[in-house]
Amino acid sequence: MANTRLLLVDDEERFLVTTKSVLEKRGYQTFVASNGLDAMAILAEKHIDVIILDVKMPGLDGVEVLRRIKQKHALVEVIMLTGHSTTESAVEGLKLGAFDYIMKPCDVKILLEKVDKAHNRKQAMEEKIQKEKIDKIISHPLSVFEKD
Amino acid sequence: MANLAEGKILGNDYQKRTRKIIFIRVLLAPFIILLAVCGTLVYHFSTYSSHQVRSELVRITEDHRRLIDQFFREKASNLQFVISSFDLEEVGSEAGLTTILHNLQIESKAFFDLGVFDEKGNHLAYVGPYNLTGKNYARSEWFRAVQQKGLFISDEFLGVRNIPHFIIAVRQNEGKKAWYLRATIDSFYFNDLVESIRIGKTGEAYLINQKGLLQTRRRSGGKLMEFDAYFKDYRLDHEKLSSFFTGERFSERYLYAAGPLKHTDWFLVVRQQIWDAYAPLTFAILISVIIIISGGSVVVILGYILASGVANSLSVAKMEKQQMKTQLIIAGKLAEVGEMSTGLAHEINNPLQVMKSELTMIEDIISEIDEDIKVRDTESLRLLNDSVDQIGVQIDRCGRITQGLLGFARQTENTRESIELQKFLPEIVRMIEEKARLENIRIVQALDPDLPSIVSDPNQLQQVFLNLLNNAIYALKDRKSGEIRIRIFREEKNVIISIADDGCGFSPEDMEKAFMPFFTTKPVGEGTGLGLSTVYGIIKGLEGDITLTSELNAGTQFTIHLPIEAPAKNKNSC
Repeated sequence: MANTRLLLVDDEERFLVTTKSVLEKRGYQTFVASNGLDAMAILAEKHIDVIILDVKMPGLDGVEVLRRIKQKHALVEVIMLTGHSTTESAVEGLKLGAFDYIMKPCDVKILLEKVDKAHNRKQAMEEKIQKEKIDKIISHPLSVFEKD
Repeated sequence: MANLAEGKILGNDYQKRTRKIIFIRVLLAPFIILLAVCGTLVYHFSTYSSHQVRSELVRITEDHRRLIDQFFREKASNLQFVISSFDLEEVGSEAGLTTILHNLQIESKAFFDLGVFDEKGNHLAYVGPYNLTGKNYARSEWFRAVQQKGLFISDEFLGVRNIPHFIIAVRQNEGKKAWYLRATIDSFYFNDLVESIRIGKTGEAYLINQKGLLQTRRRSGGKLMEFDAYFKDYRLDHEKLSSFFTGERFSERYLYAAGPLKHTDWFLVVRQQIWDAYAPLTFAILISVIIIISGGSVVVILGYILASGVANSLSVAKMEKQQMKTQLIIAGKLAEVGEMSTGLAHEINNPLQVMKSELTMIEDIISEIDEDIKVRDTESLRLLNDSVDQIGVQIDRCGRITQGLLGFARQTENTRESIELQKFLPEIVRMIEEKARLENIRIVQALDPDLPSIVSDPNQLQQVFLNLLNNAIYALKDRKSGEIRIRIFREEKNVIISIADDGCGFSPEDMEKAFMPFFTTKPVGEGTGLGLSTVYGIIKGLEGDITLTSELNAGTQFTIHLPIEAPAKNKNSC
């Protein structure tokens, strides 16, 4: 899905560079962040559809970052990337609203399949919300002036 | 738990040693003391009773000696009464003497005949079966003796009549003249008197004179006037009774009591064969010995059985302790390795992920180059692509290894479902039955039908059982036939599943490493060494426990404890 805007969060610098290049080659607009705070900063500025988030990072760890993301940007889909197969933290991530988790090492192809699914869900969700808004406006036109 | 190995694995040396110690210290020592007590008792009893036997014989002899003495005294008195009551004229007549003999015989049958002699030894009158009247006895030994002593009792002699007999002669003085009365004593009568003494089976009595000639018959052999062959061995005392033994060989050993008679120079000898004299004692000792031997053997046998039993249970206890220790060591090691594995897997997975990305990039670049400049050397391109693919394959392989490690370190999530093991397990067995049949292996299932269903992860349990059963089949591979025994039963809040085979088994060193990841006894390339470690990880993840008992070339048994109730899922992250 060419117009997906991705954010890649991992503490491994070389991984970010290479993966960004690989993903962009496949038409995914990719932003990278090497820690949780940078990720939050990018999220605040840019429109992001899907985040690929490493669970284990120095500083803010993946689960904590996920929690903050979900607080501020509930619609952004997050895919957890973990070195452990299905650690408790990954499970906890799912509970906190992550879309899925992926076990390292993972094929770019498989990664992108999940990204697409996540994006689809996000779009479906957005459309639904949009539709609800429109329905709302149609039934109560004055609501346009209400604050979101 | 250890029933597979019971009696097999047991340190046989240890068991033998323990049995010996128990046997000797606890049973043999008291037994020896008991034996010593018995021995002392028997010794003192036999000493005492042999003394008793001896004094009893002496007492009997004394009684009979008195009796025989009395006999002589009586007979002598009878004759003395006759000579003092009648004068020579009355006695010297045939008719008078006949009456006197008749009267004497009324009193005692011992008097055989009667004769009267003048001072020169002429036989004046005789009553009896022989015709002796008129013969002169002046030179006879007995006549000279009675002339001197006044009373004489002769030894047995043949005399004129040529049959063994003995006589009692008395002297009567009438003024200056003397006359003599002589009576022959019926040898048979006298013999009977002595011979009738019987003690036990072989006890007998007889008389001998100073020269060792028998004066009465001897029941066990020995005619009148024969020389007693044993005489030289006698230790006779001329004053009092004596008691002694003779004979070399046991069958001829005798216990004697002998004493001199008062009125003659004879000895009364009473003897009994040793075995007879001591028969009651021998019998008592024999009985004691039999009791000691039979009782002793019973004690020894029981002691041996007891000692074996105790040694056996000690061995089992020791073995169980050893096993427990081994299990603890194994568990400790496994925990360490588990922790390490998790870290290791994670650390390796990160670079692997980077490599994956790089690989994708390389592939992208290669295809771009191919599109851009149309590589002419297609063979080189093929080789390059092949190489790149191979890197991908090897990265995946590394990934599988780290997966395996994490599986061991129970980092896998599990689902929970109700499982009826008594149905679940046979289904798994069916999956490998064909394979087992080809190897000629029997699978025996003993499943408790009342088993409660448990809450666990069926997929993971299936993996566990398949792994264990495949291992068992592998262990039995080179045998002509084999057996795998599966048992499931309930124990309190757990279900216990044991899978045992009689295959090649583990050596003690291998047993400690069995659950370690990458440890395998299979040849290179055949096993990853992750089978048992995964089983371990799964069982631990299901809050269960798995232990292993095994002996090289005897068999292996895995015992799995699974909780019946579903345990709370792990909440604490690590």
